[in-house]
Amino acid sequence: MSVRVVAIINQKGGVGKTTTSTNLTHALAKKGYKVTVIDLDPQGHLAVSFGVTSMQISGIDAVMLDEKNVEQQVIAARDNLQLIVAGPRLQEIEQLTDGGAKRGDLLRKALHENLQDQDFVFVDCPPSSGVLVANALFAADEILIPMTSDFLALQGLSHLVGTLKRFESALKKKYKISLVMARYVTRRRISKEVLNTMLKHFPQQVLATVIRESSVLAECPSSGKTILEYRPGSRSARDFRDLADAFLEDKVM
Amino acid sequence: MTTKNNESLIGFDPLAWINDDDETPAQEESSMEQVDEISSEVADESSPAEELSSQESLSEPEITELIDNSKITLDDTLNINTVLELHGKLMQALKDNDSLEIDAANVNNIDTASLQLLVVLKQEAFKLGKDIVFDFPSDRFIEAAELLGIDNMLGVDQSAAGFF
Repeated sequence: MSVRVVAIINQKGGVGKTTTSTNLTHALAKKGYKVTVIDLDPQGHLAVSFGVTSMQISGIDAVMLDEKNVEQQVIAARDNLQLIVAGPRLQEIEQLTDGGAKRGDLLRKALHENLQDQDFVFVDCPPSSGVLVANALFAADEILIPMTSDFLALQGLSHLVGTLKRFESALKKKYKISLVMARYVTRRRISKEVLNTMLKHFPQQVLATVIRESSVLAECPSSGKTILEYRPGSRSARDFRDLADAFLEDKVM
Repeated sequence: MTTKNNESLIGFDPLAWINDDDETPAQEESSMEQVDEISSEVADESSPAEELSSQESLSEPEITELIDNSKITLDDTLNINTVLELHGKLMQALKDNDSLEIDAANVNNIDTASLQLLVVLKQEAFKLGKDIVFDFPSDRFIEAAELLGIDNMLGVDQSAAGFF
């Protein structure tokens, strides 16, 4: 079975992309799946979340600039879990203006026939809408969209879906699109209404597990630990273990 | 087309266009200008698209209403006025599922009628060989259950409440 390339994407910031990338990938790795996660955000927060704090290590930047092979850039982050950091030059790629469509195809080419021993390659996208996100969309077969339960997130989702449809048309492919309700605040009525709106427009695509907002999820990046390490008995750790099951088994609402 | 629903907190639905037709909104409406520019370039240029392995289009997902009622969140206030509705909701959920997760994190006020209902639900589940778990019980929920001596029966004694 070939590696599944999944882009975790939402151009809105603060929706839980990196939190989802960190903890979902670790939950999958703990289940025995071989997972590589790529930090495509020049801020490098994914690496920090795994305890890799040096901003000078080259990563996917050198791969996309055709200086290194992707296999050379992997760091063993946890058992079964490899990390490719952003690297200090990733921002240069975001600012590329020359090269036409080819500047959007760097990541797909870099991954081509590499990492074939992996079950999943996840790409943690930046909260932007430039060349890096285009690269993720070229490379990915599947899209995982973390959402918050507020109105502006719905507005942003509308733009994102429009973009995905245009890429599907241009690339002549159909993404498998899943959504995950992250940072869900159960006590707010608007949360339920946003979720219902998502269910109305994305039937069978919203993963069955919601990630509830919690303070421990905000705390664990500072210790360089995933939630499964920081508070393994917490409800948030259980949310991510359940999310991994939902992701693997296509369990949807 | 967007609509306004006066009873909803969502004044208009920005995703309504998805169901109106299969067309994407006008490209100039998108905030993702650069990424859209690249998608347009892909459509215009043949080389990257040619290199992509062709994929058959997946069929559209079947549109069915399937709401999971195996996880229920209790409201802030549970009293004699809400117990009948809650009874119906919980019994239906028990009928539909082999196990129920009831999130009691938000409970701020709960009266004896509601607690009795939860005990009955637990007993009913036991008889049916089904499982009910109360997740993240609030302090007030635990306090009320302790007061009636049913915290252990409901499985919400402090030792079981974990980190929260």
